[in-house]
Amino acid sequence: MAVALANGTDRPSRDDLAALIATHTTHLDVPQTLLRLDPGKIVALEGAYGTGLTRVGLSLLVEPSRRAPVAVVDARGWLSPLAAWEVGIEPGRLFVIREVELAEWSQVVAALLPGIGAVYAEVPAGISDGAVRRLAAIARRERSAMVLRPMGGRLPAGIGHLRIRAGSVEWEGADRGHGRLGRRALVIEASGKALGGMERAFEVEDDGKGAVHLVERLAAPPSRRFAG
Amino acid sequence: MATSRLVVAANRLAEEAGVQLGMARRAAEALCPGGVILDQDLAAEMARFEPVVRSVEDLVPRVEVAASGLAFVEVSGAMQYYGGEELLIERIAKELADLSREPPRLGVANGPFAARRAAELTEPGGVHAVVDDARFLATVGIEALSNEDLVATFRWLGITTLGELSRLPRPTVVSRFGQVGLMAHRLASGEDRSASPRPLPVDLAIEHRFEEPIEVLERAAFAARAAAAELVGALREHGSATHRVEVVAEAADGPERVRVWRSQDPFTESMLAERVWWQLRAWIEGGGVPGGLARLQISPADISGEGRQLGFLEDTVATIEAERALARAQAIVGPDRVLGAQPSGGRTPSERVQWHRWGEEPEPVETAPWPGAIPSPSPALVPPRRQRVDIEWDAGIPTRVRLRSRWEPVLNWAGPWRHTGRWWDGEPAADRFQLVTSAGAILCEVSAEAAYLVGVYD
Repeated sequence: MAVALANGTDRPSRDDLAALIATHTTHLDVPQTLLRLDPGKIVALEGAYGTGLTRVGLSLLVEPSRRAPVAVVDARGWLSPLAAWEVGIEPGRLFVIREVELAEWSQVVAALLPGIGAVYAEVPAGISDGAVRRLAAIARRERSAMVLRPMGGRLPAGIGHLRIRAGSVEWEGADRGHGRLGRRALVIEASGKALGGMERAFEVEDDGKGAVHLVERLAAPPSRRFAG
Repeated sequence: MATSRLVVAANRLAEEAGVQLGMARRAAEALCPGGVILDQDLAAEMARFEPVVRSVEDLVPRVEVAASGLAFVEVSGAMQYYGGEELLIERIAKELADLSREPPRLGVANGPFAARRAAELTEPGGVHAVVDDARFLATVGIEALSNEDLVATFRWLGITTLGELSRLPRPTVVSRFGQVGLMAHRLASGEDRSASPRPLPVDLAIEHRFEEPIEVLERAAFAARAAAAELVGALREHGSATHRVEVVAEAADGPERVRVWRSQDPFTESMLAERVWWQLRAWIEGGGVPGGLARLQISPADISGEGRQLGFLEDTVATIEAERALARAQAIVGPDRVLGAQPSGGRTPSERVQWHRWGEEPEPVETAPWPGAIPSPSPALVPPRRQRVDIEWDAGIPTRVRLRSRWEPVLNWAGPWRHTGRWWDGEPAADRFQLVTSAGAILCEVSAEAAYLVGVYD
């Protein structure tokens, strides 16, 4: 049994998806620690801008920010701290390194890792796989957590403890001019060591009033594929 | 002249148009549409204040600077030398009269808090000598306390003067407001904070020697920040803080300059870095360090147990290490790209964020309600400048939007929300829409028949 998670207008609605999963799935356990950023762990977020992965990444920083400041390497200079505050990061605990040039990017992330407990970094296109692997090694050695968001392409294989890919996204609240955007349901495909090498699909809910969270009892079954 | 939010100085023409100090910058712009608003430069103000401090220092040693335009000096010893309080004050007033266009305001009291209030209440050129600090402070408004939240709470409780606060039982105030309340009660009662009798650890002085003397202001700023970080870090390890810091600068060609800075609240790293930088800039620009800065030393002039209260989960060592990491990043990309931010008033996502350089104290922000603000959830990505975007319309209804090179059908939308804009500046009105496509949602703005991307709900 597989669930199609295409980006298209003919994709199943959230209700269809829930019904489909409830009917056919036997493993409904959702590992609530999945969206937790432990020291030395690396999470890769892959997907187009607009799907909601920035808020997922910021939500991962909430818990570490309670212990010490966290940093975002905002390569383009587009990140809005407003979203970070909405997910629960205190304003005084978030620092942003903005508009980092390609030549400086690796140095900046390497400079942050030994001291900042959790770093969210956009990876500009043009950064070599070798540079990303070196930074991952520094993060593991220094027990700093890192969330990597490639701005183009994919990260090298096996880099992340957890790899999250954005699937379909559905918004509620706006209705042909009326209302406003309210709740977002994002289906993510997660894989990596955090899931024992399995790939699974989860639904993540973002109501704009706190960190995004996994939806209880709404997990797609294992796809029976193993990540390398 | 204004900060990014508030008016801090105005000339006569502006005042005649209704501009008042403390007014929101936008309100001032509305009152004087053709006026020129200059940005406040605190370091430059300090440089202009430096001759005033130096002339007082020529008469009485150990002047303590609290801000540009505000200095304290302990006069009890000097009074005997000059033959009495009145003669000394007269002498100081005479020295200062020639230095600035506006005559100085002088306040004399037993403690610096009362002396400052006395100076504020006197006319330019006047002297207000307080005999009994407690009696004088009893009539002063509660807003004299610098803590805005505390002042608001006291007002809400019906306490409008310092006298009313001082009459409350101190244990009750402390049990309700903690350390902040205790400090406020002491100030209101005319008992200024006194330094803790704990001995000063000698090794807390931070000294930096520069093989190549510093003449460039940017380098001086880095030196100030590094020294401030070290001193505050060292104090934190001792579980203490300081309200007074001595800054010593030795010039390559000989002279040594010394200045004490004071703060009512314990110095934080950013506060201290800012003040050391102001002082260095004032000395360098004023020619006070000929040949460049060869040695910088900062040391606590007092020490107290009023260290920063850490959060329950907060890890001190991790916080110090994080600050070091940010300093390293700053050394790579420069001070303008390592930023902190705080919430601000405004309607658009970009207006609601006030950026500041890491290590610098953020400016106070407006907290007024903003009806018509874009509702949450906010777009996580906001371009620094709005970007043109192509939208297809059918009878006023958005049907397709071009994201990157692809046309995406609009699945749903909210809006339009009309924003009138600054019509007095010629800014056209704009309609805002939230558009939902299969590739995600965006916030866009349509003005003058052109559509712009304002945010991405990523």
